[in-house]
Amino acid sequence: MKKSNFPESQFELQIPDPLRTDEMTLSMGPQHPSTHGVLQVILKTDGEIVNSARPQIGYLHRCFEKHAENITWHQVIPFTDRLDYIASMNNNLGYAIGVERMMNLEVNERAEYLRVIVAELNRIASHLIALGTYGLDIGAFTPFLYVFRDREKILDLFEEICGARLLYNYVWVGGVAYDAPEGWREKVLEFVDYFEPKIKEYNDILTYNKIFIERTANVGVIPADVGISYGVSGPSLRGSGVNFDLRKDDPYSVYDRFEFDVITGKGEMGTIGDTWDRYWVRVAEMYESAKIIRQAAEQLPEGDAKETIPRNIKVPAGEYYMRTETPRGELGYYIISDGGKMPNRVKVRSPAFCNLSVLPAIAPGVMIADLVAIIGSLDIVLGEVDR
Amino acid sequence: MKQYFKNIYEAIATILVGMGVTWRHLFTRAVTVQYPHVKRELPERSRMQLFVDMDDCIGCMQCQRACPVDCIDIKTIRAGKEEDLGEAGNGTKKKLHVVQFYIDMAKCCYCADCVFPCPTGAIRMTPEYEFITYDRSSLLINFSQYSDEERAALEERERKEKEAQAAAKAARLKAAEEAKKTAAAQKDESKSE
Repeated sequence: MKKSNFPESQFELQIPDPLRTDEMTLSMGPQHPSTHGVLQVILKTDGEIVNSARPQIGYLHRCFEKHAENITWHQVIPFTDRLDYIASMNNNLGYAIGVERMMNLEVNERAEYLRVIVAELNRIASHLIALGTYGLDIGAFTPFLYVFRDREKILDLFEEICGARLLYNYVWVGGVAYDAPEGWREKVLEFVDYFEPKIKEYNDILTYNKIFIERTANVGVIPADVGISYGVSGPSLRGSGVNFDLRKDDPYSVYDRFEFDVITGKGEMGTIGDTWDRYWVRVAEMYESAKIIRQAAEQLPEGDAKETIPRNIKVPAGEYYMRTETPRGELGYYIISDGGKMPNRVKVRSPAFCNLSVLPAIAPGVMIADLVAIIGSLDIVLGEVDR
Repeated sequence: MKQYFKNIYEAIATILVGMGVTWRHLFTRAVTVQYPHVKRELPERSRMQLFVDMDDCIGCMQCQRACPVDCIDIKTIRAGKEEDLGEAGNGTKKKLHVVQFYIDMAKCCYCADCVFPCPTGAIRMTPEYEFITYDRSSLLINFSQYSDEERAALEERERKEKEAQAAAKAARLKAAEEAKKTAAAQKDESKSE
């Protein structure tokens, strides 16, 4: 028989289950210290267990793509700096190479080597920040200060070669903005010699710390197939054991002349693809970057780095997809030209955005504190997620 | 049980290893600089505040066109035929009065794209970085050496010149039209004859 408040009502009377608990909706961010910027994650939690996590993005949207349609080819470069502001050199590089390939422009050898040196230096700087802030997320404060000390040395090198410490506008279409000043090459080599032993320090203080391992191993496992189907790239995908590095698989610039290894996660502390593996890939990649820098600085040819910069950038009509390996993964520029003074369209395939998209797939079932570790291990930069 | 004590041992041991690193750092020199008292010398390429040497500026507006954020606003007035404005540092003759050269440092994105196209090297980035103000409008710097009165006088002169030119042109057009008319009339006359 139908139970009802009113005899004629069509609604059934619902008797609440006294043991049922409600899901709590928790808004993590946009001003949360562990979201690395203005990211908001809407969490549905059951106690301390996350049932679903939905990233809300767009707080840092600056219309890069639309803006690029209204400025000249060269003026886009300062704006590409601001996509991933932690690794600006790598962002410049992808755009510059894309436009060069559309123009069929050969770039001066010295400029190519300088580009590789600055891009790898910036990769180290970016991974250092990833390490330091990851330590902060987990609760280790000291490594943060150590990595910033070493990052400062890289920024000093950048300041010397291009005058800026954060947004460089250094890699131009057809070359680089400034040639290396006298004695810069020696300083780079000096830095590499100084830096390589320092990685052991980070390992001692953070990587092999038992508490850190307990917090990160077996947490937030991204299986390789899930990672690939969500478009995860860079260290986050290599942590899952997938050997995919565009510097090896689709070499650009002069990367094919250097010897280095692609680091993949082995599951040393737990499962393959957990947060510790992703963290470890970044640490080991700094060794590889240092290797590349040493080779490039030793082989740096003489010449005029600004020789091949065109006076006017004339891009023939057409389209091109250029992808490069930034510290976060595959950064793609899809450039369409109509032969005019300005790009017709510059679409950015940003690695941080695609890496973040895997979060809803791996979040269900983890603790809230582990979610912080997962977001930190994806190493997102909100400037690039939102563009 | 064994695992439990092993975990505790490992945690303490690895923490001690980490503390060994910090302990060693206790005896190294500090890398920080006590900023207001000690100032680090910046390299000469440092891109901080923009500066324009107006003695060298020829008013070609290349920097204004190169700027991606439109923070430079230049207005120029053509010099008269008998006026001599001197030469820029590299010998280029100046032909324009640069009556306005605004740079809005609040808008500037420090990309230094304006520095490279300058034909005389007048605009450049300086290592001067302490220009904080309480008022945003004081970040709008006018580098022009012309006072308001001089600028008004030049603008008035330009306006008058333009008017005179326009009048002359109108007169020329009118004359040409009348000449045409008379020519046509003469033609008509010659035809009718």
